[in-house]
Amino acid sequence: MGKTVLIVDDSNTMRKIVSRALRQAGIDFDQILEAGDGQEALDVLGANSVDVVLSDINMPNMTGLEFLKAKSEDDAIKDIPVVMISTETGADIIDQAKALGAKGAVKKPFTPDLINDTLGPLL
Amino acid sequence: MEFAQKIKQATEEIFSTMIFLDLKPGEPLAQGKEDLGCHVSAMIGLSGDFNALIGIHCPEQVGLAIGGSMLGMELQTIDDDIKDALGEIANMLAGSLKEAFASENIDLMLAIPTTISGNSYKVSAPSGSNRILLPFDLEAGRFYIDLKYSLS
Repeated sequence: MGKTVLIVDDSNTMRKIVSRALRQAGIDFDQILEAGDGQEALDVLGANSVDVVLSDINMPNMTGLEFLKAKSEDDAIKDIPVVMISTETGADIIDQAKALGAKGAVKKPFTPDLINDTLGPLL
Repeated sequence: MEFAQKIKQATEEIFSTMIFLDLKPGEPLAQGKEDLGCHVSAMIGLSGDFNALIGIHCPEQVGLAIGGSMLGMELQTIDDDIKDALGEIANMLAGSLKEAFASENIDLMLAIPTTISGNSYKVSAPSGSNRILLPFDLEAGRFYIDLKYSLS
């Protein structure tokens, strides 16, 4: 069975760029799902089998950190790995994300190689 | 490192890694240039150890070229996709500045990007603030990265 990735970002442009970067990195997902904020991401995870999540941090309605916290409290989805993709990659915010279960972080702007290096070990 | 050099490096990194358009930076323009002949702009505020507003200003054809290249499709008009794309550029510029200044123990926080479009508008800085206006040339034309900041 093929793998599924969920891309979470309030920017439609950035979701498209991340999708393109995954293809350019040679990471072959059978299905790419999208969500515009943390709450939408929780809804998608509740309704689909997802192998890995790439999530922005600064989003309206529910931020990436709030999403991580809510996900960690749901036994059904808490083990799905999440990598943060954000302009906000200072040590303090990344430490918070990792404490909430994030497996890594990629700073925008990013290259396909960087996506591959971060995501590859999780697949 | 000075402001203009930080902006130039951040802009070149964004265009080389995520937009894939050849970019030629120009020399900073004189203070007070307000009528840029642009039709779409995206700006984002930074606050903390100093206050700043950084933005990108584009004529229509340049905005279409940048947005089209980011999205991987041909675009005909300034629409929500273009505004979203330019907002992301402003966001990444601000993030890069934040990171560059963090290495000098200068803390900044980012606001949410704002985008405007129209046929006639001027961009002016609050009195007393400093301004750096950097032109960049693409095949489609010239755009500007604009930083206004106040150290008080």
